[in-house]
Formats: sequence, C-alpha cells, structure tokens
Amino acid sequence: MATDNATDGGFGEVSRVRGIVFEYLSLGASVAGLVALGVLLVYVAIDAFDLADASPEWLLTYFLTLVVPFLAFCLYSAGDRAVTRRALGVLGGGLVAVAALFTAVEAFVVEIPRLSWQLTYLFVVAAPVTAYLAYVGSRGRVGAVGFGLVGRLVGGAAIGLAVGTLFLVFDELVWFLAYTLGVFPAAVLYAYGRWRSAGRAMTAAAPVGLVGIVAAVFLRGVIATYPSDLLIYIWTLAVPIAVVGAVVVDGRGSRIAAAAAGGVPLAVATAGGFLAGGFGVPGPTALIVLIAVGVPTAVYVHRAIDEGDGLIGLGLPFLLVVGALVGALVVEAWGVPAPDPWLDVGFVTGSPSRTAADAGLYPAIVGSVIIIALVAVLSFVLGVGTSIFLEEYTAESGLIGSLTRLLQVNIANLAAIPSVVYGLLGLGLFANLLGLGFGTAVTASLTLSLLILPITIISAQEAIRSVPEDLRRGSDAMGATRWQTTKNVVLPEALPGILTGTILALGRAIGETAPLIMIGAATTVFSAPDSLFSKFSAMPMQIYAWAGFPQAEFRYGVVAAGVITLLVILVGMNGTAILLRNRAERGN
Amino acid sequence: MTDSTESPDLQRRSGLRRLKEGTYGGFFAACAAVTLLTTVAIFVTLLSDAVVFFQEIAIAEFLTGTNWSPNPAGGGQAFGIIPLLIGTLTVTITAACIALPIGTLTAIYLSEYASPNARSILKPLLEVLAGIPTVVYGYFALVYITPALKATVFPEMSTFNALSASIMVGIMTIPMVSSISEDAMSAVPDELRQAGYGLGATKFEVSTGIVVPASISGIASSYILAVSRAIGETMIVVVAMGAQARMPAVQEAIFGIPYINPADILLESGMTITVAMVQIAQSDLTGGTIPYDSMFALGLSLFVVTLVMNVISDIIAERYREEY
Repeated sequence: MATDNATDGGFGEVSRVRGIVFEYLSLGASVAGLVALGVLLVYVAIDAFDLADASPEWLLTYFLTLVVPFLAFCLYSAGDRAVTRRALGVLGGGLVAVAALFTAVEAFVVEIPRLSWQLTYLFVVAAPVTAYLAYVGSRGRVGAVGFGLVGRLVGGAAIGLAVGTLFLVFDELVWFLAYTLGVFPAAVLYAYGRWRSAGRAMTAAAPVGLVGIVAAVFLRGVIATYPSDLLIYIWTLAVPIAVVGAVVVDGRGSRIAAAAAGGVPLAVATAGGFLAGGFGVPGPTALIVLIAVGVPTAVYVHRAIDEGDGLIGLGLPFLLVVGALVGALVVEAWGVPAPDPWLDVGFVTGSPSRTAADAGLYPAIVGSVIIIALVAVLSFVLGVGTSIFLEEYTAESGLIGSLTRLLQVNIANLAAIPSVVYGLLGLGLFANLLGLGFGTAVTASLTLSLLILPITIISAQEAIRSVPEDLRRGSDAMGATRWQTTKNVVLPEALPGILTGTILALGRAIGETAPLIMIGAATTVFSAPDSLFSKFSAMPMQIYAWAGFPQAEFRYGVVAAGVITLLVILVGMNGTAILLRNRAERGN
Repeated sequence: MTDSTESPDLQRRSGLRRLKEGTYGGFFAACAAVTLLTTVAIFVTLLSDAVVFFQEIAIAEFLTGTNWSPNPAGGGQAFGIIPLLIGTLTVTITAACIALPIGTLTAIYLSEYASPNARSILKPLLEVLAGIPTVVYGYFALVYITPALKATVFPEMSTFNALSASIMVGIMTIPMVSSISEDAMSAVPDELRQAGYGLGATKFEVSTGIVVPASISGIASSYILAVSRAIGETMIVVVAMGAQARMPAVQEAIFGIPYINPADILLESGMTITVAMVQIAQSDLTGGTIPYDSMFALGLSLFVVTLVMNVISDIIAERYREEY
C-alpha cells in the first residue's frame, strides 16, 4: 500500500510505472481473445472466398466500384466534415502504414502465409473503417433510409427463402385447406368485428378458426383434387401479405397508394412465379421470395416518400448493384484474373459430394432451417409461459414461494448442464423410449428446445421484470383480471425484450452439434428432408463431417465456406435481435 | 389493445371468466413444470441405463481402470475412466490457465479502467466469443492453430492434440469469467474505492488491493462456472483432439522420482469423457449393449460433476458475498 511509503514523514514517491503497465496489461488481456478470433475469422474468409489467389488488380477493381461508392454514400449521409477528414486520413495513412509494416515483417521477421499487404489493408483498415462509417452514416437521415431499404430487401429474401424451405416438409395441401376453412374466415370475422366494433364477431373468430383447421386435417384425406401449387401459394400467402401491406399503407396515406403498395408487388410476384420456371428456378419459391421482398419494400418506400426526407437514400441498393455489375464488367473486359471462391451459388444450392469442387450445403441448410423453426415455436411458448408463471402468477412466500425458488434454482442449474448430456436425454427419452426415431427432425427439435429453454426463460423473465410495476397496478385498478393485465399490459411491453432473448437463444441452438450427434443425426444426407420423421443433417453436423476429411480442398476450402455460411446466418439472427432491442429502447 | 368485450368484472363471479383465468394459470404452471420434468427426466434417463451398466461392470473397476476400449476389434472390452479423466483434466487445466488470468484482467479493465464508451463496445464484443458455435472453434484449432504451432514452437506436435483444443476452449470461456467477475466488481460500492484513494492509494492499488478482494466471491464462482463449462465442452475436443484414450508414459527422473512429461499429454492426441460419449454414439445407438449403457454412465459422471460445481459456485456466491 502507498501508505507504507509515507511512514517516514512525507508523502513519499509513488511509482507510476507499475500502474501504467498494469493498465495496458489488462487492456491487452481484454482484446487478446478478440484479436485471436479476428485473425482466425480473416483466415477463414480468405479460404472460403479464395482471396489468397485474388490478384491485386481484382481487389482494386472491386474496391473502387463497390467499397468507395459505399463509403462516399455513408460520408454524404453523415454530412460531417470532421468525420470525412478523419476517415480519409485513416484510409490513406493506413495504406502507407500497412504496406510498410507488412513488407518489413515479411522481409526481416517471418513470412506470413496466405496474406498479402493488400488483403491485410482490406481486413485491418478498410473493413473497420467501413463498419464505423456505416454506423455513423446510418444515424443520418439519408443513410437510415438507405440501410432500411437494403435491410428490407435482404431480410425479405431471407424470410421468403426460409418459408419456402418449410413447405418442403409441411404439406402445402393441408395448409391450403386450413387457410381456406380456418384462418381466412377467422381473419375476416376478426376484421369485421374490429371495423363495426362488434364484439361477438371477434369472440367467434378463434373458435371458427380452430374448427376450420381441425376440419382441414380431416378433409385432407377425403378431397383428391387441388389447384396447382402456384395458385395455392398465391391464394394463401401472396394475397394476404399484399392485403396486409395495403392496409398498413392505407392507415397512413391515400387509397391509390395503398392499392399500389399491395397490387404492384402482388402482380410482380405472380408474374415472377409463372415465369421463373423458364429460368430453372422453382415457381413457388420465386413467388414467396418476391412477395416477401416486395410488400415490405413497397410499404417502406411509401413511408419514405410520405416523410419526404432523405429520399436519395433509396438509391443505395442501386448503387451497390451497379457497383457490382461495373466491377464484373471491368474484370471481364480487362481479363483480370479472378479468384474461384468455394462459397458460391453452387455451394449453397448443391448436395454434398465426394469431390470438393461439387460439394454443397443445401440439404444441411434445409435441415437447420426446419429444426430452428420448430425449436423457435416450442421454446418461445414454453419459455414465455414459464416466465409469466414465475413473474406474474407466484407469491413471495408460503408453499408457492418455495416452489418458485426451487424452480428458479433448477433453471439456473439446467443452464449449466453440458449440451452433450441433453443429447443423452434426447437419445434415451425421445428416440428410444418414445420412439420418435434416431436423427429425425422431431427428436432434434425437442432436444434442442429443452437445451435452450433455460436461456429463453431467464431472458424472458428479465424482460417481464423490467415492465414498470405502475402499469400493472393501473391495470389492476381498472378491474382487470391477472390474465387481462398480463395480456394487455405486460406482454406488449415486454415483447421486444422476449423476442431479443429468444432469437439470441436460437443462435445458440443453430450452432449446437454435440446433442445432434448423440441422437444419431446423419453427418451427411444427399437430399433435403421431406418430412419431420426423415433423416436429416444440419449445418454444424455437415461442417463436423467435412472437417474430418483429410484432403486439403475440404479442410481449407469447403469447410471454410460452410463455416462462413453458418456464421453469416448467426450474424443475421443476432443482428436482428440487436436491432429489435435498440428499437424498443428508443421507443421507450 | 383492450377489447370491447372485456368489461370490468369487479365481483369475479362470472363462472366462464374464472374458468378462463384458471385455464391460463394452469397452462403457465404446466410450462413451468416442464423445466422441473426436464431435470427429473435427465436424471432418470441417465440413472436407469447407468445402473444397467454398473451391473455388468463394477463401479470400482470403472473408476480405477486404466484402459478405455469399448469397441475393440479383437474383443476384450475395457471400461476404465482414468485415461478419460486425464484427458478431461488436461483440457480443463490448460484452458483454465488461459481463461482465468485473461478473464480476470479483462474484468478489472472493464470495471476499473475502461471509459463508459469503451465498455459499451467491449462487453458485447466479448460475448461474441461465447456465441461462436463450438464446432467452428474446433475447426479453427485443427486447421489453423495446430499448423501454426507446428510451424513455430512445437515441430513434433501431432495433427490431433490436446494443446490446440485447450487453447480454443480457453478462449471460448473467457467471457464467462469476465462477465460474472465484472458484475461482482461493479457491485463493489464506490465508497470503498474513494476510501482507498483517500488513504493515498494509487489506482493500481485500489483495483488489486480493494476491488478484487471485495469481489472475490463473485470471481471464485465465475472461475468454477468456467471450469465446469470446460469440462463439459464437446465439439472443440472432438474435432481437434482426436480420439485415443491413452495413459501417458511415466518416466523416471533423477533419484528415481516418477514424473510425466507434460509434452507427452499436451502435444499428443487424447480422449476426454465427452469425446468417449460421442465416439460411442456414432457407432452404437439402438441400446441394449454395454457400450451404449457406458455412454450413460459417463453422462451421469459429467452431470454430477457439473451439478456439484454449479451448486458450490452458488454457495460461494451466496455465502461469502460481502453485504454492502
């Protein structure tokens, strides 16, 4: 202690060196893990996209046509001279510094494998600067509009593809009957009740829908003829989504705008669905993707035009597409040697293969999407139900109180059990005892749901707990019952937090491998699963299988592409969760 | 959100409404019961098959046997857990050597030195370390870490080895240590720090002499949780450590003192408890065989160990927490 130094009368001298060394040591420790992970991710990206073979000209071309316009867009949106000056300074200074440092290290210390100074510059300087500028730019109005549009395009495509994938497993004819007999009449009744404020119509909606769905399941075995797939999807998915879009726009603007926002995407998607067959794309998939992209985009564009601010931002998707096209043209025209990435369209749409060049991830991606969809439903219902019980329906003391504490301790302990043990539970209980089958999607979803249940519950509890007590008391004072308070006050307030926690937990589930091995999931399947009880593979299982191949093309090419695909999906899910949370925080 | 149907019912006499309330309450209680049932189901599933296993293989033989070969080619099965324990301990200790110091320093930096801005960036980034799928970490260890170590420090390293796997397990568990420790350190009241400064202590002395001792229970419980996570880690070791249950060679040093060269364990392939389970699961799933049952015996050991560690961590955090 410093007081020891002061015993001889004065305050004494205190060395600063120790403190400074310690501060930087702890800073270094904080970033050590991150730096290690960053380096590994850079190498995986290089392997997946074959960037080690990319010529400097190729990198320069795309840097000029794609990255530079994007940076200019962000700087324009930020509209801050200081930021512009700083960004240009870092980009320019970084170029010189990285080139000099890299060459020096290569010359005097050690040769760095599979990296060039151009690549190092891209990853160490250009990528962080781009991320920072995208963040700064998104806070300007122009950037917000642009990123919002790009987000809807990409998110719509992802959701459309996921929904299309689900219909590989679920019978679309049952869905057609259930929609026609149950969902549609129920929705009409509910809308009519809202419109005329007729309470009885709204109360009748839920039973009518249930009866219709049950009837649909029975009728599926009786009715033999159905309309074509494309007509089913237009009637059951495209039209309702378009109507919802039109209603949303109608609430804000004119009738004509509403008709356009619903009608134009519907027309485009229908046309796309009928024409897609000519290009070798399945019609229903094209229809679903186009409608999932088109309607949110139309609604968003209408809102942006309505607010009339930062309309230039709507050009961002065109900027990116044109940049990519020009880059491709230049590369083609000048014959710049281009790399041959492992992660390309063929990889995502192809089946696994013995040869590295033909290997694809498609069946595994389908398997993962199906499992995650089921896990999402199961863990959301169970997680929210449990957390409502623990937060709203229990008492502090008495028998119920100690039961609550027991549940609480139990949930914390469940969260700490290794995932491989959950795999044993799935194997012993679901696969062997209940006979749901080894390595089927049902067994896997049940197992993974139980695995992430504790995380879902804990985050949902936090979200529910953060709802102010005043709101509950206010609702109680109006004579609401406990369930009415929960439904009308607590859940709407807590929903963003609950969704954020659930999506983050799903991110954990999508990467889990050990439980899948224990329940006997296949490492490699060659066609996408066609029912919930067929053998399936998942992305991490396929990665695990490929990582065991001794050939270098698999180890350094195919697996890297699989890892990047998995990580991109993870980043997309977690990014959505964080956006949800930020929006909810801003709303409050 | 309120529907027009929901007129206040101050007397609570309506039978239908009470039925509705009861139904919802019952549904939520049933959801909560699922979590309890999960624990019971795990325990029963593990125990029922483990009991069958221990009828065939004596517990003493299981706990003291030095040979693990559940599916030998020529016959002569052996179920001794010692080589698996050596593998698990190797990974856990090596990973702890990485995660505990780095995690503690990170927690100190985040709680004492970092500006609010830096903290708001660093904390979510550190959580990313725990969010990467473990099979990806295993792939990193096998394909990038091992060749890099082989090319620089340990040329005699084998392709599958304990060291690379342990490094990755360590990196993965850093956020467990740092986030729980940081919570404990942030809970130390500012008066204690100010009192330290008032006595003329430097920031270094306040951090290491006041904040760390005051939050030692939180730090200790974070250590135990991180270690229990490392014990149960599966995919990293399955991919990067290989699957050879080995007993390390005991050598004799001067004066005949027996010792084990750490390089014999760290640079060679090995097998942890979790790897042994995965290996059996890939060949034998229909049940009714001794290897199948042994999987559940191993799972039971793992379950008990992690449960006990979790309970100890809870007790430490509760019992020795300084009340402010």
